[in-house]
Amino acid sequence: MPIDEPLRRDDDLALLGLLQLVSPALPIGAFAWSQGLESAFELDWVTDEASLGDWLEGVLDDGLTHCELPVLLRQQHAWAAADSDAIAFWDDWLQANRETAELAAEDRRLGEALARLLRSLDRLPVAPSLPGGAGYATVFAWTAHCRDVPVRQTLLGFAWAWLENQLAVACKALPLGHTAAQRLVEQLRPSLVTAVDKALTLDDDDLGPALPGLALASALHETQYSRLFRS
Amino acid sequence: MTTLATPIPEMAAKHSDTGHRFDAQRHWSASLDLVFRARQAHGESKTCLSHARHQGPLRVQRPFYPEGRQGACHVYLLHPPGGLVSGDALSINASVATDAHALLTTPAANKLYRADSQGVAWHQRTHLQVEPGGLLEWLPQETIAFDGSRGTQSTTVELAPGAQCVGWEIMALGRPASDLPFVSGRIEQRFRLMQNGRPLWLERQPLDPNHPRFHGRWGQGGATSQATLWVVGLADEAAAIEAIRAAVPVSSRWAITRRHGVVLLRYLGNERNEAWDICQLAWEVLRPMMTGQQACVPRIWLT
Repeated sequence: MPIDEPLRRDDDLALLGLLQLVSPALPIGAFAWSQGLESAFELDWVTDEASLGDWLEGVLDDGLTHCELPVLLRQQHAWAAADSDAIAFWDDWLQANRETAELAAEDRRLGEALARLLRSLDRLPVAPSLPGGAGYATVFAWTAHCRDVPVRQTLLGFAWAWLENQLAVACKALPLGHTAAQRLVEQLRPSLVTAVDKALTLDDDDLGPALPGLALASALHETQYSRLFRS
Repeated sequence: MTTLATPIPEMAAKHSDTGHRFDAQRHWSASLDLVFRARQAHGESKTCLSHARHQGPLRVQRPFYPEGRQGACHVYLLHPPGGLVSGDALSINASVATDAHALLTTPAANKLYRADSQGVAWHQRTHLQVEPGGLLEWLPQETIAFDGSRGTQSTTVELAPGAQCVGWEIMALGRPASDLPFVSGRIEQRFRLMQNGRPLWLERQPLDPNHPRFHGRWGQGGATSQATLWVVGLADEAAAIEAIRAAVPVSSRWAITRRHGVVLLRYLGNERNEAWDICQLAWEVLRPMMTGQQACVPRIWLT
């Protein structure tokens, strides 16, 4: 069907744009951050494949599902509507929910790094522009929007990048074997889909992470004696 | 639609509504509004409780000045029922004007009792406001959640630029001494700290003993006592954190951090006394950094 061809080409370009955005090769330094996981190893809260699976399932449900994923949905809609008030509101909201110095720094640094990359690719938003000090999710949502990535796939891609990064941390620091990491991918792949389904339905009032243990671990990481990661 | 299915808006309750009913509309509201202002007299500045209005069973004792006439105005908040039952709606508003300094505490623990057979929730709202140069110390005694309690506690702090505020929420889940753990019910705590209309700190703590997070390490980790201390307006946050780390014994049950102008200390453990001691010690370290004066421990804490 010749009529569909340009549309298919657009879909393909969007998919490739998403793969580029979530690739560990994207030069924003995501590999340097563990989101409290390194501290959970140090505290013996996460000691093996099974306890890592529990931790990741928990953080996915009580963290990403109620925080980053629904904010990505709102931010991508806000970029589509060029609604600068909504963009600033959700950027502030997400940063105010960061529990610790390191989690706040991770958000800011990844946001800065992605914005820097977009600048050198001449892909920064013009009107409205990025809010000053925009966090990672805000810049991520902009990138997905300007590549016409469907919102659902933006959320799946973000959650996928999080899972891959957490498993890379575990392979380096636990250490976790690479086959065990792939077993966890198999175990958690359906959970990512469930998380996105749920994130797409939550009301504003239901949002906010509920991760007191992770927050404690992340704050303890600031004084941890020996560290491989910045969070 | 039957009228029974429609909850009564809390603030719409009339004074004539005695709350003496035992169905799903059980409701008893109480509120307290306090305003503190700095008054200049004879070259001295003194903080006065310039406005106090109460409705229902919430009161304040006469303010007193254990730190001298120019020191903080200490006020005890009284809630004679001693705790919250189904249908209770408590609203506490405290406002500290420019250059005023108030310390608010309570004479006893706040108890959150088991919900009635209808599972009706209680609500507690606290709204704290501080103007430029003002300081509010919000140091209530701990909250004890009884098994089966249901309700929401929300704390909103609105700060002007140049305002200072230190506060805490210390909570014990269940009554371990009586072997009555918190195994059912649902409590949600929310914190919202705003400056210039922008949020600096937002936090949601759902406490549901039947949710995986209640025992999971990423969540509550099975902890039966918890505390959160916040402080805003320090001249040198890094120095304050170093001083607290040096003063409080090291343990993996508490940690301190700072983000977006708010210093946060969190405790997750199983000992109410340990949670209290850590918070009190941290406050005693912070006090001279905020006012130049040593902490003046409210005598009611010692009784």
